[in-house]
Amino acid sequence: MHTTIPRQLQSILGDEGMIADKNRRIPYECDGLAFEREIPDLVLLPASTEELQACLRILHAAGIPVVARGAGTGLTGGATPVKGGVVIGLARMRKILEIDPTNQFARVEAGLVNVDITHACDDHGLFYAPDPSSQTACTIGGNVANNAGGPHCFKYGNTSRHILGLKIVLSDGEILELSEPELDPSGYDLLGLFIGSEGMFGIATEVTLRLTPRAEVTETLLAVFPDLDQACDTVTDIIAEHWEPSALEIMDQLTIQAVEASVFSAGYPPDAKAVLLIEVEGSRPECEANVAGIEAIAKRHGIMEWRRAANDKERKKLWAGRKGAYGAMGRIAPDLYVSDVVVPRTKLRQLVRQTTDICERYDLKITNVFHAGDGNLHPNISYDRRDADQMRRVLAAADEIMRVCIDAGGTLSGEHGIGLEKRDQMHMYFEPEDMEAMLGVRDAWDPSGIMNPGKMIPVRACNEHRPLRFKR
Amino acid sequence: MNAQDIVDYTKSLDCVHCGLCLRTCPTYRDTGRESASPRGRIHMMRSVAEGAAEVDQHLIEELDGCLVCRNCESVCPSGVEYNELIAHTRSALADSPHRSLLSRESMRFGLRSVLTSRSMIDLFALMLRLGQRFGMLSLAGTLGKGAENLPDVPPAAERQRLAPVHPAQGKLEGEVAILEGCVMPVFFSHVNRATVEVLQAAGRQVHVPKGATCCGALQAHNGELETARQLAKQMIVSMEGPRDQTGDLLPVVVNSAGCAAQMKEYGSLLAEDPEFAERAEQFAARVKDFSEYLADEAGTRVAEALATDPPQIQSPLTFDDPCHLCHGQGVRSQPRELLDSVHVQRVEIDESESCCGSAGLFATLRPADSQRILDPRLGALRASGARTLVTANPGCQLQWQAGVKRDGLDVEVLHIAEVLQRSLKS
Repeated sequence: MHTTIPRQLQSILGDEGMIADKNRRIPYECDGLAFEREIPDLVLLPASTEELQACLRILHAAGIPVVARGAGTGLTGGATPVKGGVVIGLARMRKILEIDPTNQFARVEAGLVNVDITHACDDHGLFYAPDPSSQTACTIGGNVANNAGGPHCFKYGNTSRHILGLKIVLSDGEILELSEPELDPSGYDLLGLFIGSEGMFGIATEVTLRLTPRAEVTETLLAVFPDLDQACDTVTDIIAEHWEPSALEIMDQLTIQAVEASVFSAGYPPDAKAVLLIEVEGSRPECEANVAGIEAIAKRHGIMEWRRAANDKERKKLWAGRKGAYGAMGRIAPDLYVSDVVVPRTKLRQLVRQTTDICERYDLKITNVFHAGDGNLHPNISYDRRDADQMRRVLAAADEIMRVCIDAGGTLSGEHGIGLEKRDQMHMYFEPEDMEAMLGVRDAWDPSGIMNPGKMIPVRACNEHRPLRFKR
Repeated sequence: MNAQDIVDYTKSLDCVHCGLCLRTCPTYRDTGRESASPRGRIHMMRSVAEGAAEVDQHLIEELDGCLVCRNCESVCPSGVEYNELIAHTRSALADSPHRSLLSRESMRFGLRSVLTSRSMIDLFALMLRLGQRFGMLSLAGTLGKGAENLPDVPPAAERQRLAPVHPAQGKLEGEVAILEGCVMPVFFSHVNRATVEVLQAAGRQVHVPKGATCCGALQAHNGELETARQLAKQMIVSMEGPRDQTGDLLPVVVNSAGCAAQMKEYGSLLAEDPEFAERAEQFAARVKDFSEYLADEAGTRVAEALATDPPQIQSPLTFDDPCHLCHGQGVRSQPRELLDSVHVQRVEIDESESCCGSAGLFATLRPADSQRILDPRLGALRASGARTLVTANPGCQLQWQAGVKRDGLDVEVLHIAEVLQRSLKS
């Protein structure tokens, strides 16, 4: 029976909508987490909700696993198949369906690239607030699946705070519309439940987003430090003294040097041990008060230099450096493991130290670039996946990093999701009953279990996942 | 051939898989296929080198489908040398049995025998013109079908070659050598004349060395790296001919962005050649795009030579960055500076750094794909309200002219040299 399925799918999707040959499926074997790889049996690229619905009906009936994929910029293996099955890419569904500047929302297809929304509503003085570093490539559907964050989520909140409605195709092909005209709909908050479900509940095809008015004034500042500890303490004090910047980002020396060698060179001083990138928004007096308050704290912590971007061009340059930091690490080693943990903001200095010590103990190259204001650390470990021993050390160090952060009162993930990367560490944070309850919720959305199986919840028994594969 | 020879494996490891290139890639945006994106193509190439994939027609098709616009290089934080990666693999796979014999042989003939020789180009132009005038291309089988996608060849009177030397106007400020080009004298001899006139007006004595025909860009991008190296050497020798009064070699000014981008990379192309490695580096440093040279070296003199009354140019105008000017050479501000010294309003066109679909031989070999790449750009042109579109590369100019004509837009497509020529004081 299985051999007829590709033919049925192709009759729905046409030649442009399906990839069957092996070579063109290879790029779908992983996302940004390159050490977990598995080539999917088929790649489907539907062009509409209806096409996706028709495909899911067939796949559901046959019990074939389905992995949804946006642009494959995720960092936890969320879009990587575990045991074959089908990858469904949303890259052909990238239309902007509606922009309502008065009511400040937009309705878009899920494959639209994050930054395209802001481009499209720029003339109305509006923008879409969540801004992951990959925002020039990642899709809004992927943002929804992982409840993505970004530097400005310190002020504006993660993706879940900006989603007003979703059109979702469930595993059996049923279409669920969760678009309410009111901001506080009656009944359970199903949107809240779906956002961050990592492709295990269904596939969103249309997203209604909240657009945010641009602030009157935006100031971007750079504090340059001779010492990483001082940069961390500056952030802790800014939070403690209740200043309200919209972003607080720290980059350490190795990161600065990699960025400065790249096309995104931002003019960060390469001899600095750390820089703190700060953004402040609001009315002119609000901004000035914040800038003065923050500058005083930074000076108290012995900065080498204090810079204020003079215009939009300088602001963009400072930010481009930050956003290109992950890619710039390609200059250090072929692969990068981006850890994503959250710690109490009173303990930034201590935990950045501890994560650095752990990596040094395992003889690994670590760089730090993180959303300091949120306490969201990204210890980045550069490695080469071809080196088995190095690979083992990376995984052991990552495990220890998660452990010390949780012990200090932090959590497993800030914004990248769990996926494959942290699946087996879930027990560090959750009791078996918690995970049992999560599976119960998953079963309510997808009783068949075909949606992104093998992710997020640890596998407890070897017969738990029995995904079917095509016979070739 | 073993897998490691097909791929420049070391360069492929520079990709850290971040995906920031995806949105800038015209073929990924057109198809939504990651195998048609820079990251995907690199991923497949690396898999071939590691023995995890075998070359087949699907892989070749995805690699051939690349425009080599190099937009991905402009946004790659890791500094992947994509252009060199794809040139290497295309060259290694040029003779692959997964291509048809006819396509292999006709490609090789065109790249090795026609484009490399002035007399062959002239003969081919004549045949093409006759074929186009008398509608006989359809009789010539597959080759004729490819030729149907070529633009109309102008009559012989408009296919004039340049004289070897052109004196400066007014006070002599310097001397330059220019590249006459392979197809430029066929389709764009008026652009070549405009280039000379503007340089003369800027006080430059212009030399036109005749010792080399083609820069080798089309060969390097289409699997003929060895031919490209031979052409590069001829070009270096030819351009080492003219010297100024003090005996120094001249700046090499190029009015075709694709050629200048290639010529600036002779250093790495010939890095392994003991005789030419150093000469190639020195040559590459002398190569300047037309607008780069004028704005950086002669900005004031050009401005003085321009008339203040509105010239014969429809307003507003816009500059569409040729890929091999902005991504290939990093030249972005200079053409805009020059155009702002012309007394015509200038507007920006959305995504001006995105490929128009011309891409060397792409528009000829894949007209339908090329049209789909151009379509959103035509939409952006309409939205900009521009009535003159300015470019700096012959392929882009042909592509835009064809698109504007097809859509019936009231937009004139000009090379930046033509805009400046029309603006000169009479």
